[in-house]
Amino acid sequence: MTTLSHAPAGARPVPNPQKSLITKLNMGTGMVLGIIFCWGTYYAMKAGRDMTDSHNVNKVLLMSMFAWSLGFLIGIGALIGPFRWLIGKDLTDEEQLYLAGDGQGIKRYFKYCTDHKVVGIQYLVGVMALLGVGGTMAMMIRTNLATPGSHFVTPNVYNSLVGLHGITMIVAMIIVATGPFGNYIMPIMIGAADMAFPRLNALSWWVLFTAIPVLCSAWFLGGIPTGWTAYAPLSDQAGPGMNAFVATIIIFAVSTAVAGMNITTTVIAMRAKGMKWNRVPIFVIGATISVALAIPAFPTFMVAMIQTAMDRTIATGFYDANVGGSGWLYANLFWIMGHPEVYVILIPGVAALMEIAPVFVRKPLFSYNAAIAGFAGIAGLSILVWAHHMYMSGWMPSLNGPFMITTEFISIPTGLLFLVLIGTLWRGKPWMKLPMLSVYAFIWDFLIGGITGIYLSDVPADNYLHGSMFVTAHFHYTLMGAALTGAIGGLAYWFPKMTGRMLNERGGYISFWFVQIGFNVLFLGMFIAGAEGQPRRVADYAHLFSHANLISTIGAYSVGIGMLTLLWAIVHSWRSGKIAPMNPWGAKTLEWTVPYPVPLVNFETPPVVTSDPYGYGRSAK
Amino acid sequence: MADHDHEELAPTPGARVGKFINRGDVRQTLLLGLLYTIVFVVLGRWVYPHWMPTVLTKQMQANEDIMIWFTVISAPIAGVVLAIATQSFLHMHRGDTPPEEGIAIRTNTPVVIIWSATSILFCIVAIVWGLVALNTDSIAAATDAPKSLIVDVTGSQWAWSFYYPAQNIHTHELNIPVNQPVTFNVISDDVNHSFWPVQLGVKVDANRLVTTVVHADPTATGPIDVKCAELCGLYHAYMETSGAVQTPADFSSWVSSIQATGGVQQ
Repeated sequence: MTTLSHAPAGARPVPNPQKSLITKLNMGTGMVLGIIFCWGTYYAMKAGRDMTDSHNVNKVLLMSMFAWSLGFLIGIGALIGPFRWLIGKDLTDEEQLYLAGDGQGIKRYFKYCTDHKVVGIQYLVGVMALLGVGGTMAMMIRTNLATPGSHFVTPNVYNSLVGLHGITMIVAMIIVATGPFGNYIMPIMIGAADMAFPRLNALSWWVLFTAIPVLCSAWFLGGIPTGWTAYAPLSDQAGPGMNAFVATIIIFAVSTAVAGMNITTTVIAMRAKGMKWNRVPIFVIGATISVALAIPAFPTFMVAMIQTAMDRTIATGFYDANVGGSGWLYANLFWIMGHPEVYVILIPGVAALMEIAPVFVRKPLFSYNAAIAGFAGIAGLSILVWAHHMYMSGWMPSLNGPFMITTEFISIPTGLLFLVLIGTLWRGKPWMKLPMLSVYAFIWDFLIGGITGIYLSDVPADNYLHGSMFVTAHFHYTLMGAALTGAIGGLAYWFPKMTGRMLNERGGYISFWFVQIGFNVLFLGMFIAGAEGQPRRVADYAHLFSHANLISTIGAYSVGIGMLTLLWAIVHSWRSGKIAPMNPWGAKTLEWTVPYPVPLVNFETPPVVTSDPYGYGRSAK
Repeated sequence: MADHDHEELAPTPGARVGKFINRGDVRQTLLLGLLYTIVFVVLGRWVYPHWMPTVLTKQMQANEDIMIWFTVISAPIAGVVLAIATQSFLHMHRGDTPPEEGIAIRTNTPVVIIWSATSILFCIVAIVWGLVALNTDSIAAATDAPKSLIVDVTGSQWAWSFYYPAQNIHTHELNIPVNQPVTFNVISDDVNHSFWPVQLGVKVDANRLVTTVVHADPTATGPIDVKCAELCGLYHAYMETSGAVQTPADFSSWVSSIQATGGVQQ
């Protein structure tokens, strides 16, 4: 058991945890201290500064945002452990049990709780909130674009909607599978009692949590004009709201680094006895490759943002051509993160669907090795393709050919992912339940996303399509079509284990068809608009594009209805759904061998694994 | 060899393929695959020329060709994937109890090899096609340089302006003559923009203090919409202008009319 130290009883006095400071701290104390830190920093830094100078405004705002984050973490008790360790009085066993939320009921979800299952639920609720906010912004964008000349929102609000929808959804998609399932399910899947570093696990969630109010503050500071790419020098020119974006990315990068190291270490070091690498469930492999890819990727974005912050606060001019800087420096740093990030998002969703397919087809996963080769190949190549986003930037046109080659190559491991899924479906009679529907949706959506990606990776076609609505449609087909579809499939599949109840099937089916039909109508419209020549991220457009945009908006409303139905199904099922049996799908992975509620240490006795979890099927006659 | 030995021999590859194709599920899948392939080919051949603007340059033709032919080439692969998915979907098992166990196919090495080889082949075709198109364009840009019309393009928040050095005219419209190569030297006065004369099928970013170059070969006359393809702030959506690929006579006449007003378009 990793949550507890193994100091022999009586080695040192054990204080009553009821008297320990950690019992007094929760989300409320975190918010109070965070606000005090934020306002204290704001007023202390503001004093004596010329606040008509934008550099000073940026300094004050950025430091206030970081102070909020630090204050909250202190207030919720995130730093008590490291502090006690530093002074040589690490937490006692009783205190660690308390931190694990033992016997605290629903209150533990509002505390710095180290139980991986609590962290998984916190991520799930957080993802749902982010999807709600990001989705609402998408609806506002599509409403504005329903007709040309619409004044539903002003151009400034529209640009902010585009940027904040983008970053909110990117953050949501990065954590949509690895957050809830990587934390709740994955340790049980590998037979571990907890994550390798339970305190860091809680830290990753609460650090991320502190970024959410920071990002929301952008609206009250004038918005962001740059889109989620935050290209320089527009970001240098942008108003105070840009600070919120910069601070969010820096805080989020800390969270992903912590989570990435934790998940990777857990999978490497804490697998059950007998779980050799060729017996590890494919979801675990996918999630591990994804977070391992994130570990080098996000610090690059963090560096890009730190330099943006320095340009905006002390006029360093990293991206300012007037003083010898270059916007291409930013673009390179951004996309060195940005393209691996696409696969950080995509791989766990696909891996979840690969976990689902064998269970419902009652056949082994077809070519487990091909699946691993696909994930590893994608991860490896993804760090060599970033400049395909810069074909038209003017930066090193002589490198367009080499980057086109590496980008096209990525279609080979991607093809293996399709092979694994259709090979699993081949000659099968799938059990048509909600999770399985997501497998089919993924195959259709990702196929469209993949084929259109091949056009875009080819420089001559990108000449026309780059920066158009066609690109927007393409990446939604890949990100939403793979990551969100995979995550919804994963939620339907693991919902019984995470909540003890079955997800309402009727609500799930209604949601599925509204989302999938709406999704295809929405982005079909965008493909048409892009091919016709409509640039992306425009608040208004010519009449030529009006039919395509109207089609897209109708599709978007359908997706909205579908997602609201899914929300209803989740809330209704969680509160009063049908009680789930321990293994409702008859699956063979370890998480289905434990009851609900899952015990604090997951397993009464440590499991021993003797085969892979895909031993379905009969011999061919 | 005795007759009974013949009976114990494994079937020949041809016989195995014949038996495989005669299976009901295989036939159904092949039929579906053929159907999907035809649909994708028809869509590829019809949809993009219908959606995309009139082709005015060699570059635009190259773009459209890629979108059409890549769709056509990928149609059989997409057809196989969708056919297998559809075939299994049509044979779904409903109810609250799991279906009977399927056939335990862990892998099939020849299938993995054929699939990978097909992917690699498709990938090589896409790469070679792209490199040839890139190379053709680069050679054309180099050889056509001496006879190219030069247009200096400046992007600023939120308007495009053009300067024709040989004609010494400043304009806010982009007119160019047909059948004469044109070279655009593009720069920004402020933040990043992206110069996109839509019907010409070319695009390049406008950067502060750095000139980027893009080349086009107009082959037909027609209107041009110039847009900005890089989010550049508040009125990005309205950063657009128009122009045309004109006959040489119309272009000369247009240039003369501007020169007559002091070289600046009113």
